[in-house]
Amino acid sequence: MLRRHFMLSVAGSAVGMLVLPKVAFAEAGTIDWYTNSDTNILDFWTNTVAPKFEVANPGLKLNIVDAGDGMDAITQRALAALETKTDPKADFIEQGDPLSPKGAMEAGLYANLKDSLSNWSKVNPLGIETDFAVPYRGSQVLLAFDGTKVTPEDAPKTFEDLVKWIKANPGQFIYNRPDKGGSGGNFVRRVIHEVNGRDPSKFTVENFTPEYAEKMLAPAWELLKDLAPSLFEGGAYTGGNTPSIQLLSQSAVTMIPAWSDMALQNIANGVLPETTGITQLTDLAFCGGFARSVVFANGANRDAAIKLADFVLTEEIQSAIISELGGFPGVAWDYVSADLRQKYQAVVPSSIPTFPGGDWGSAINDGWYRNVAPNVDRNA
Amino acid sequence: MSADTVAVRRRARRRPDWAGLGLGLALTLVILVPMLVVITWSFSNVWRYPSILPQQMGLKFWQATLARADVWSALVTSLSLASVVTLLSTVICLPAAYAFARLKFWGRDVLFFSFLAGQAFPKFGLLVAIAAIFLQLNLISTFWGVVLIQLVGTLLFMIWIPVAAFQAVDRRMEEAARDAGAGPLRVFWSITLPQAAPTIFSAVLLSFVGTFYETEGAWLIGAPQIRTMPVLMITFINNQPVIQYGAVLSVLLWVPSLVALVFTRRVIGSSTFARGFGG
Amino acid sequence: MTKVRVPSGAGESRGPLGLLLVAVPVFLLGWMTVWPILSGLVTTLFPKDAAGFSLELYDRFFSDDYSLDNLRLTLWTCGVTSLILLAVSVPLALYLRFARGPLASYVQTLAMFPMFVPSIILAFAFIRVLGPNGTVDTILNALGLAKIRSPYLTVWGPVIGLVWDNIPLTVLILTSGLGAVPNPAIEAARDVGARPLTLFVHIILPRMWSSIFVVISLTILGLFTAFTLPYVLGPASPEMMGPFMQRTFSDLRNPEMALTQATIVMGFCILFGLFYVRSVARNRRD
Repeated sequence: MLRRHFMLSVAGSAVGMLVLPKVAFAEAGTIDWYTNSDTNILDFWTNTVAPKFEVANPGLKLNIVDAGDGMDAITQRALAALETKTDPKADFIEQGDPLSPKGAMEAGLYANLKDSLSNWSKVNPLGIETDFAVPYRGSQVLLAFDGTKVTPEDAPKTFEDLVKWIKANPGQFIYNRPDKGGSGGNFVRRVIHEVNGRDPSKFTVENFTPEYAEKMLAPAWELLKDLAPSLFEGGAYTGGNTPSIQLLSQSAVTMIPAWSDMALQNIANGVLPETTGITQLTDLAFCGGFARSVVFANGANRDAAIKLADFVLTEEIQSAIISELGGFPGVAWDYVSADLRQKYQAVVPSSIPTFPGGDWGSAINDGWYRNVAPNVDRNA
Repeated sequence: MSADTVAVRRRARRRPDWAGLGLGLALTLVILVPMLVVITWSFSNVWRYPSILPQQMGLKFWQATLARADVWSALVTSLSLASVVTLLSTVICLPAAYAFARLKFWGRDVLFFSFLAGQAFPKFGLLVAIAAIFLQLNLISTFWGVVLIQLVGTLLFMIWIPVAAFQAVDRRMEEAARDAGAGPLRVFWSITLPQAAPTIFSAVLLSFVGTFYETEGAWLIGAPQIRTMPVLMITFINNQPVIQYGAVLSVLLWVPSLVALVFTRRVIGSSTFARGFGG
Repeated sequence: MTKVRVPSGAGESRGPLGLLLVAVPVFLLGWMTVWPILSGLVTTLFPKDAAGFSLELYDRFFSDDYSLDNLRLTLWTCGVTSLILLAVSVPLALYLRFARGPLASYVQTLAMFPMFVPSIILAFAFIRVLGPNGTVDTILNALGLAKIRSPYLTVWGPVIGLVWDNIPLTVLILTSGLGAVPNPAIEAARDVGARPLTLFVHIILPRMWSSIFVVISLTILGLFTAFTLPYVLGPASPEMMGPFMQRTFSDLRNPEMALTQATIVMGFCILFGLFYVRSVARNRRD
């Protein structure tokens, strides 16, 4: 199929060559940097990482682009550029998945970071999935709730408590569609852990088979279907992390799963009232996730982008991730400054449950859409 | 027409225009009120449920938005893109529309209806394929690449509506002018064009506004260098927990709309305009 | 068109001249629309898993309940939206056709306004007004009444949004269709004592049918490929085809299937497009 596509696009371009002047275009030293993360990450890069990097590497600059929902389009474009040996006009993706699109990693779309980064040895081994993506920051999902309606003492401590709470307070809980943001996605993953003996080690990138996934995921769908009538509007799901936070801030719901860094930052900037409480389950925490950056191997500024990937693993940036972003480091705790280590290590668990991406991600998302979302009678 | 109008006026004087009042009120509720809500949001610093009015009004978010350099450069990009695309579209589509309306040539009807194809096929399916082509032409992330992709988007409006306009021109006047010895170009310039102008003008404005608000093509072809207002706005609305930024940008984006609306109102109701779409 | 008398003089050179004048737009259309569509079609008919020509992808779509549900929802939304749209727009068009004066201008301006509101702003305004604890809820709450059941994230969300979005074009086309109803005919009927309903059913409606066809087919053409409103306002599942295709393409990483879905959507569009083309062609002949 690749070849046919290639032929078609060559034919299409040949037509275009006849009528269009060739425009030379390249801006050396400017790394085209994309993210589809929420605003707090964007601000962190704009105000902290980019200036520091530019000071440390004179001549190099970051062009920061918020891709929103358009990240996939850019990856597809980069893949098309790889096939046609052209410049994708994209170098660095703040949060990417080298396993996507299928076959892209094997085809050489992503640069091998393990071989190119001098700081690779510092990376927290828990976060490493492939050699082509560097986990540089972690975050955890927790429960955010309206403190005027639920006291911290009454907030759910275990998953069982949470289910009880949701059922006792119908319409007061909502999570987002698992493919549209990690807070809902990791809520769903926590359910998968729950029905499989709370053992995250049962899921790895390698052990995925459609049959195994079917067997492991089916009971989770049952539990989620059972919860659906007690959710907001009898089973509505928002389209992202941010819409969930907005519903909480409008008092439309009482409790949501949220990323720790987003919750903290939104309380700090007043979007969520000060009375907002946060809590983590104690029997098994919600999955956290590492944001893994990737570098396009065919990007014009590939080497500069690799420098940037190395730079974010330095102690300076890793410490800022803890102190400014409220996240946790992508490097092992030994590589952050000692006082930060002492201050935060008690609060933030040194390891958080994670869930493998790749095929598991697609299986969970599609399974959720097919099994959980439709089985809701909303008198439509 | 004037006799009809008099008849209508006479009737209107007999009783109040209940239908008009009812429709006016209904439209005010469903169209004006939502817009007013958004405007209010843009001027509110804090507005939490269940207060009817914002707890705190102010210009905080207007200042924050307008202070961002990317908002202004995006506005300039959007305006210049829309102008260039509209201009090019006018130049290539008006002659084509004239040909479709007046001349006979091979495959005319098939070609005319083929402009619907772009409406029927989902856009994202087209865009990735086009991106692959543009990559090889070095058009990705350039102004002219975006111009090209948006130009294609205007073809349907810019051909179908003017075709109707040219067809509606009174032929007898043209022939009279020609009989009086005017050449074909002169006839076109002083008889045909003036009559078709109002409808053509509304098509031009529509493609300007349509181009101004186009996002998907602008993003896939334009990123990362070319950032338009709506592209910026989508990221603001999707990932931004502070509602007010979106509200401010919405209000900001209505300015070109309102200007266009005032301009088009006179011509847009005329039946030739809608006949472009077969009415 | 057949009534057009070709003026004497330049008649012979018409063939090539006409083609020359349409050449640039037709070239652009062929290059950036027709060509990608055809290449997409080829991809779906020769999937990489199969050795050669195969309808396997289409077979998979039509044997998958989930996909069919999404298709059904899309058709349902198209149907309901068209009906509501007509119910709203026909009275508006009737009024605008016959009324004059400042009130009529006001109504016309408001009816045209949505044309200048991009979907993303519309979705934004919708959530603020009709969403949970939005303006309507706030007002009801202040009056001591129960909250509404918000259409946000239900199938009615996209319907309301799409109706709103499509009012201007519908009203325009219907108004121009009503231009075909001569005032004297209505006056005469009214003078012999015809009641408004009779007037509408016997004099006005027969002359509106073709515009109604045009409106419905054009709306449906747009609805099938609509993305923003169903995605932002609609339920997670079933999805309308627009968001579903996008998800298949990017999240499930199955471009072949996404193209297949797109081709099926285009099939339906062509079906409605044919209605449209027929009524347009008929009007053009008149």
